[in-house]
Amino acid sequence: MRQVAIVGGGHTKFGVRKATWKELVQEAGKATFASVRNLTPRMVDSLFVGAAEPERFAFQSHVAPLAAEQLGITPTRVLQRHELACASGQSAIRAAWMSIAMGLSDVAMVVGVEKMNIPNLPELQSSMACVLDREWDGVHGASAPPFFALCAQRHMHEYGTTREHLTEVRLKAGRFAATNPNAHFAKTFTKEQVEKSVEISPPLRLLDCSGITDGAAGLILTSAERAREFTDTPMYIHGTGQASQGHNLSNMESLTTWTPLKWAAKEAYRSAGIRSRDIDFAEVHDCFTISEIIVTEDLGFCEKGKGGAHIASGQTDIGGRPVVNTRGGLLGMGHPLGATGVSQAVEILWQFQKKVPPKRQVEGDLALAHNLSGSANAHSILIYGRRPK
Amino acid sequence: MSPTPTGPVAVFRESLAPRGQIDVPYLLDFYPLQSEEHTRIHPFFKHLREGRFTTTRCKACGELLWQPRAVCSKCLSEDLEWVELPTEGTVYAFTAMVRGPPLGMEADIPFVIALVDLDTQWRPLRLLTRIDGVQAGEMRIGDKVRLKIINLADGRVFYRFTGQAGNAGQGTKR
Ligand SMILES: [Zn+2]
Repeated sequence: MRQVAIVGGGHTKFGVRKATWKELVQEAGKATFASVRNLTPRMVDSLFVGAAEPERFAFQSHVAPLAAEQLGITPTRVLQRHELACASGQSAIRAAWMSIAMGLSDVAMVVGVEKMNIPNLPELQSSMACVLDREWDGVHGASAPPFFALCAQRHMHEYGTTREHLTEVRLKAGRFAATNPNAHFAKTFTKEQVEKSVEISPPLRLLDCSGITDGAAGLILTSAERAREFTDTPMYIHGTGQASQGHNLSNMESLTTWTPLKWAAKEAYRSAGIRSRDIDFAEVHDCFTISEIIVTEDLGFCEKGKGGAHIASGQTDIGGRPVVNTRGGLLGMGHPLGATGVSQAVEILWQFQKKVPPKRQVEGDLALAHNLSGSANAHSILIYGRRPK
Repeated sequence: MSPTPTGPVAVFRESLAPRGQIDVPYLLDFYPLQSEEHTRIHPFFKHLREGRFTTTRCKACGELLWQPRAVCSKCLSEDLEWVELPTEGTVYAFTAMVRGPPLGMEADIPFVIALVDLDTQWRPLRLLTRIDGVQAGEMRIGDKVRLKIINLADGRVFYRFTGQAGNAGQGTKR
């Protein structure tokens, strides 16, 4: 297998955008090509598009060739669209990595995109409920917030996690997002604002939830040998893991220890030849405040059950280690489903390249990105290094 | 990017009225298609109509399967039997849909969604269900809930569970 490098990344403004998904692809593509040298769209031989629900949000299928057309890319090796709900973006990166590693592709582009703000909000909510097993979960009115609320209630019940712990996760996301002009919610919040925001699914309130957001992000991947044709500061894929268990919460082993996350993390650390304590900073999937608490525990960043206290004590902030979610997290950035995993990778690249504002700049050579999907039943992890493996 | 004015030009015009609302076909509501021509697990719905809550159990490996299957997800056998499930269960976790309901459920909010443990003779079974008859603020983990059958106007059928305030078992405060 060839070692794979990411040589550039581009990002749109996330938010309620006055733009279609195709226009977001154009913006992200332009920004991505601007981040590398010696590369034109015609030189890209493979395109991997992460998009969760264009059929429902934009009434559009067959989006990979349509995205290629928007960008002037004429793929001659691989063209694929990836759907893994909220983890579609990282799914696309993993596929590009595989294709380059095995020598099928030489220069690949990944674009993650989602246009979620449509005129009819209940229709959007219905589409989100279809991420679940529509006939057995959606039919009961369940969608993402109730699922994660059930996890939160059990975590509080079993480990004594508190409302204040959830609030601290949101406050941290706000502090980082305030440094990120691409964030949907680029501002800080107060404890009162979080705890008095409207109830969505108890114990979760509006500010415990990531937003309904439009956006796109892109990456260029190539082999480690060719990386320096395109940039002086590539980053390298050191390892990866992915695992899933069940789909309905009925068939998950636990609501508070996400077993498939532990499997994915074990494989990611093994394949990178590292342990959790070697990670300097991480981008994790805080679709809800409770998610960051459970993920922090199950990645091995702190003791099981202590995730809330760990975050509240500032150990995942600047100065702690690993620092978590410098981008602002899904909570601060918003969560355009297909774009999120790609946006996480762009943040890590920019951290390594020292391209982020000084307030959120962290030092380090190894970073982890975690993207989950569905009812936290599927987990995808990539480990990135500033140096070759 | 406005074009250079060229003066009045005769163009053809016609007004169209797009349909303001499109009826939602069955596949875009949340209830399954239930008849024999649409699904191999049609007996589940027939039993439910008769007041029986059932699922499939594999005769080859003995696994109790939830949700009902056509093929055993443990050993891939198709030799399955229908077995009765308890109609009373215990709340393992609960929340409510307060804001952001899917289409068709806007009038119902807030409503309770819970994971309920059923104590079957084969293995513990935990299922996700809506709970009628009680608000989240009145509930505790450990509450007892009972099966409720929902008859849809078009002849389809589904289940929920129903609880009542002050029905707490050994429940602990949320
Ligand atoms: Zn079997």
